[in-house]
Amino acid sequence: MGLQSDAEKAQSIIRSRLCNSSFVFKPLSDSPDSNYSKLKFIISSSITEGCNNSILLLGPRGSGKLAVLELVIYDLLQEHSDLISVIKLNGLLHNDDNCAFKEIARQLCLEHHLVFSKMASFDDNSQFMIAMLRECGLAHKTIIFVLDEFDSFAQGKQRLLYSLLDAMQSVTSQAVVIGVSCRLDADQLLEKRVRSRFSHRKLLFLPLSMEDVQRLLEHLLFLPVNTGLPHDFASQFNGKLRKVLADERFKEIIASCLNVQSTINNLLRFLFVAVSYMEPKLGFLSLENFKNALLSIQRQPKQEGIRDCSILELYILVCMKRLEVKEQNSYNFASVMKEYKSIHDSFHTSDYYARNVCLRAFERLLQRELICFTDSRGHGQSVEFRQVKLLISFGELQEGLKSYRSYPAILQKLLDR
Amino acid sequence: MSKEEDSPVIRRTTRSSSSAPVKSNETEIKKNAVTYSPTINDLAFGEDKLSFNDLLSSFPGRHIQIKEIMRILGPQDCPMFPQFIYGGASTGKTSVVLQIFRHLNRPFVYASCRTCYSQRILFECILNQLLLHKKNAANGYSSAKRCEKPSDFVNFLREAVANVTNSLKGNLGELGGSKLGGGPNGSMLYLIFDNLELVREWDKSSCILPFLFNLSNILKMPEVGFIFISNTSPDTYYSNIGYLEPIPVYFPEYTEEDLRQIFLRSQSNRKLYSSFLDIVLRPFCRITRKVDELAAAFSSLFQKYCEPLSDLTSVPNEEMKRKLFSHFQPHIATSLNEIFWILSEPFLEVEPRSETMQKGITRKLEGDQEFAEMDFHMSTSAKYLLISAFLASRNPATLDASLFDSTGGSESRKRKRKASEKSMEQKEVAEQESLLKGPGTFPLERLLAIFQCITSVLDGYLDEEEHANDLLKVGRGDGLMSDVLLQLSSLCNANFIIKGGSCPLETTTRYRSTISEDMALKIARSLKFPLANYLYRR
Repeated sequence: MGLQSDAEKAQSIIRSRLCNSSFVFKPLSDSPDSNYSKLKFIISSSITEGCNNSILLLGPRGSGKLAVLELVIYDLLQEHSDLISVIKLNGLLHNDDNCAFKEIARQLCLEHHLVFSKMASFDDNSQFMIAMLRECGLAHKTIIFVLDEFDSFAQGKQRLLYSLLDAMQSVTSQAVVIGVSCRLDADQLLEKRVRSRFSHRKLLFLPLSMEDVQRLLEHLLFLPVNTGLPHDFASQFNGKLRKVLADERFKEIIASCLNVQSTINNLLRFLFVAVSYMEPKLGFLSLENFKNALLSIQRQPKQEGIRDCSILELYILVCMKRLEVKEQNSYNFASVMKEYKSIHDSFHTSDYYARNVCLRAFERLLQRELICFTDSRGHGQSVEFRQVKLLISFGELQEGLKSYRSYPAILQKLLDR
Repeated sequence: MSKEEDSPVIRRTTRSSSSAPVKSNETEIKKNAVTYSPTINDLAFGEDKLSFNDLLSSFPGRHIQIKEIMRILGPQDCPMFPQFIYGGASTGKTSVVLQIFRHLNRPFVYASCRTCYSQRILFECILNQLLLHKKNAANGYSSAKRCEKPSDFVNFLREAVANVTNSLKGNLGELGGSKLGGGPNGSMLYLIFDNLELVREWDKSSCILPFLFNLSNILKMPEVGFIFISNTSPDTYYSNIGYLEPIPVYFPEYTEEDLRQIFLRSQSNRKLYSSFLDIVLRPFCRITRKVDELAAAFSSLFQKYCEPLSDLTSVPNEEMKRKLFSHFQPHIATSLNEIFWILSEPFLEVEPRSETMQKGITRKLEGDQEFAEMDFHMSTSAKYLLISAFLASRNPATLDASLFDSTGGSESRKRKRKASEKSMEQKEVAEQESLLKGPGTFPLERLLAIFQCITSVLDGYLDEEEHANDLLKVGRGDGLMSDVLLQLSSLCNANFIIKGGSCPLETTTRYRSTISEDMALKIARSLKFPLANYLYRR
């Protein structure tokens, strides 16, 4: 019982670590040429020198751009808290200019203990922002604008970006604009008038190296020896884990996980599932946990979809495939039924059902999204006559059939010819 | 989806209204406002707890999935990555999740994207539940907050969640760790989004879907867990914006063995039902493995199976089974080719979700068997109209003149040309084309013209044969024509004829008939109308 509760405690410690991004990125920020150090240098120099700056953080989704930025901002706030105020915007939320200015005004008011008026117009808000920039510049206070999903701010007229960057051209203001985006061409999306005001500093977030992964694993999974948990449980846990980490098979698993997507977030997700697979009764992380986690994360939805099909639905899929092989590229339910009938006529299969039963099966396939209509509108036309297409390839269908529990052998034959 | 699945929203409503069922309106409002205002405890299931074994036994065939979801949920107050639960319709996703929360007794907020059919309604529904706000007459059935934009939603949500978790923590502190109070366990809150696949159709250009997937990242609150439930697999959500993938949990379709257990659960005489399932389960599983569809089919079949039995509680022996089988066998093949029977009295334990599936009236009416049994109740002129619509859809317009000339009928039309190879090929191509195109469209004038021709020809027939059937003795033209437009509009409403597809050159609406040939023939037979003579065949 003692072991079980300890194990549960250990599990929740690791889980909260994995969900806490500032903890995750701590070890990666030590080295001087890490993005953390670069970013911190740029921002802190523009704070101390009182100049304007703009940076883009680029990298695939889930590579920890925002997490690193937040770590930097957190540290800077510790160092000189009265010199910074941070405004955070997200492109998913504030992609129309009106809403973005409102949010900026709201956050500025909150920060400076002013009364925010919901009724303020677009013009009021933008003037308020410029006035605030000037005031803060006079008080030698830097405003950091964090624009997450930067690319969606670059859609439309880019009024927000223009007025922000334009205000920064004046001597009095003191601001840093940090764009975060997973589009590597984010700066190419800017209009000319915006681009010329933007300093083209970019920080790229690269995929993890193997050493980084190793360091992260140790940092995340090893239990602290001195706090909370009983000493011998923690050391035993760490000992067993060390063995697992050194195992060749474990390295293979990690590699196949990172081969798909080598971002930190993907790794975290994988570790999270592995840790939640841990048996509290056993008390330790085993290789088996990691193996299961890999299986449950790397799913093949189309294969699963084919395995879910009934025999009749498989027949319909095979008929559609046959039509495609015959180079009849557009077909609908009616023509599929013709093919189905011709199969029945020549092979006398036992699975020949009425047309409306087939239509139901056809609709289930549509629901599973193994097939779909080629046109999205299709008003005024019933299901039977709208053109459809397969969403699975020949290989997928064949593999799906092979993993199907017991399918009629005739299907394979029909597919091959 | 089984019966015990009732969304928490409904549960809360019934609980509150049952507290004052007989009082007059004002006192009820008062009571609602004073004694029953939803508390923080209402975010969890509360008193009726479910043990883990009961949970497992109530979902045969879903043990692996239940354990997997519980593993990812983790121990109490443990932060988690967003979860994505997917699987076909009627595989028990929603009910499993809700029952797990009933077992764990943790606070959660459930919002189905089917009932919350737009962005604003979804946001307000979630906020209402979090702010413990109930729509009633006193507040004019309005929501707690007006919230249309995602940005507002995030601000409100952050505030509301902070309040809720604080008071949950306060609750726990007061109770001093003892769980006797019936309050929810833990201070972590879970947001459940059901029917997520519908969100894709809400607004093509909006970014609501990436917003929902990234919500946990935007909020950055470890005390909120996210669970998404969807009919379709994660790969159908890919867009060019991208999102952080949640952890997938897959609900496969039930296997035959699972289905047997599910169907046996609700039966009083298990032995009898089991012998019934021995016969029907396998052939039906070849068509579909959906519980709702099978349940609908089995319920009527089982009655047929039991017909020779006088005592439904008796345990059948081998000889009896054989007898029942021989009696029952002929029904199997026919019932396999039927779809969807609607019983007059609701019997099912597992209710078919017919209302949620999108089914036109036509579908239910299209089956052959249905027509054989229930007569097609329609006025004669409507039947004629339907036939003329069918003809107008199938026949090329250029042939109208020759088909409906003064001699009537097409008996004289004989095509005795030898089919050359090339013409055969052309014929095949044309046939394929017609299959692809489906029924053609026609303007109203053509429909009326054909209608008039048909009815006039019919009069001719009647005169010739002197077949004075008083049912069909309708005055020439005028009688039938009187309310033909009215009939047409009602046929359109019933989906037999579709309006639409207007020609860009002329502004008139065009129509299209949806009925199948079988059905048209059936109607023609009931009118004794020689439909085959008028159909153009290639």
